[in-house]
Amino acid sequence: MSITFLRYFARQAMANIFNNRLVHLIGVGTMAIAFLIFDAFVLIFLNLNYWTEERGKLLTMSIYFKAEPERIVLEDIKKELLGFPGVTIKGFISKDDAMESLRRQLGDKAGLLDGLRENPLPASLEIVLSRDKSGDSTPYQLKRRLEGIDIVDEVQYSQEWIKRFEAFMEAIKIVGIVVGGLLFLAALFIIINTIKLTIYSRKDEIEILKLVGATNRFVKIPFLIEGSIQGFLGGSVALLMLFLAYIVVMSRVDLRIGFASLDIIFLPTHFILFLLLMSIIIGFIGSTISLGRFFRI
Amino acid sequence: MIQLFHVYKSFGSKNPALIDVSLTVKKGEFVFITGPSGAGKTTLLKIIFCAEKVTSGQALVNGRNLNRIKDRELAFLRRRVGVVFQDFKLLPRRNVFENVALALEIAGLPFSMIRKKVHQTLRYLGLANKEGYYPPQLSGGEQQRVAVARAIINNPLILLADEPTGNLDPDLTMEIMALLRQIHIRGTTVIVATHSQELLRDTRRRIVTLSKGRIV
Ligand SMILES: Nc1ncnc2c1ncn2[C@@H]1O[C@H](COP(=O)(O)OP(=O)(O)O)[C@@H](O)[C@H]1O
Ligand SMILES: [Mg+2]
Repeated sequence: MSITFLRYFARQAMANIFNNRLVHLIGVGTMAIAFLIFDAFVLIFLNLNYWTEERGKLLTMSIYFKAEPERIVLEDIKKELLGFPGVTIKGFISKDDAMESLRRQLGDKAGLLDGLRENPLPASLEIVLSRDKSGDSTPYQLKRRLEGIDIVDEVQYSQEWIKRFEAFMEAIKIVGIVVGGLLFLAALFIIINTIKLTIYSRKDEIEILKLVGATNRFVKIPFLIEGSIQGFLGGSVALLMLFLAYIVVMSRVDLRIGFASLDIIFLPTHFILFLLLMSIIIGFIGSTISLGRFFRI
Repeated sequence: MIQLFHVYKSFGSKNPALIDVSLTVKKGEFVFITGPSGAGKTTLLKIIFCAEKVTSGQALVNGRNLNRIKDRELAFLRRRVGVVFQDFKLLPRRNVFENVALALEIAGLPFSMIRKKVHQTLRYLGLANKEGYYPPQLSGGEQQRVAVARAIINNPLILLADEPTGNLDPDLTMEIMALLRQIHIRGTTVIVATHSQELLRDTRRRIVTLSKGRIV
């Protein structure tokens, strides 16, 4: 492609945008809103994912004993547990402690427990396992190992809520895909119409270009550039707005909650680049569709 | 150079604009197409540069069958066929230089060459001092010459002119006709459509007369 072509295409695309600046401004504005909703969705999803991953790394494990373990035995077990990577001891709950907390949970119905001749609740040891350091297979290995000890009755670990949370994340992902798809269509629709307007505003010129021997491609390329630029601007404005919103939220969260463990992360660079690329692609596709319609007439 | 065989052209359900038109124009000829307003002159020229497709019949230009030409080939063919339209078809928001340069930009010529050729052509047509003007700032005769400049800047094989003197006073008419003769002498096949009998009075050129879409 020659320099003349590139010069011509760039100049035409810019002239189109300038000559139809109001239409473009409205187009970029509406599109930015569509992209903003989408980007915000991605950001929220990303953070939820990040948090669950952080949480999911910590696993609580309860070791139930057949009877109240002797102090020395308990210390031995604790020592052995600490030999595993990523294990921290949360605490020992004796039979009495367990009964006490059950009574507290039952509140005024605690009288029901008075009829019991002996305490049926097991003593237990609670530990936290960091999956980060221990790897995925360890909880099960640890469970097997502990259940091999004769005073240990049963070992339970809490994968349940993680599973539930992961299901929730799946649901969010599906909603995201649906909403994202709709927003994608909205953005496409906006581009198609903006470019259609600029094509119509240059109808005479297109006719003349074709009559003096311009190829279809030559006529189309400036509009494709124009659509891509519009997509890029819409995408950039959306990301900028999202970033400003992020900064505002961050400063508030810091002041009011100061929740150190709930960092809100912003979109990482490769996400930003991906979203920008996507907005350019939407612009390109939108203008292609517009041109297809026009050139069929 | 141009061959039409039994060409019919109709627009919707109205009387056809061209009926059984067969015409051969050889390389280097200068032909007038004449006939009253509505006879089909413009339609005939439009067929030749493929702004309209024939309804039936065959049209060949420079060896190409226009019924079967692809978009890209058509574009290249049009670069060899210069057209001066009845209504000039200049872009009002581009100046004279840009309007003429358009015909070269589409071919991707380097800018330095475009500038050289546009200067040269505008000088040839006496428009050297009008480069920066916009079409609405020009007289009819000047606009006409800009249109001619754009049509001939690619050294076309064929030049089609639709009522080139339609909006001009007698002096300018003589001037434009002299110009078309010069272009013809340089080797271009020229076809001029006109309803003016005035223009044809003393000519020894070939005259094709249309009446209600038929050659008479
Ligand atoms: N695009 C068109 N749509 C419908 N009718 C047309 C169109 N172009 C030309 N015609 C009709 O075709 C006939 C010939 O028109 P035209 O070729 O312009 O004649 P001329 O140039 O000899 O005055 C006229 O009756 C005109 O109304
Ligand atoms: Mg006419």
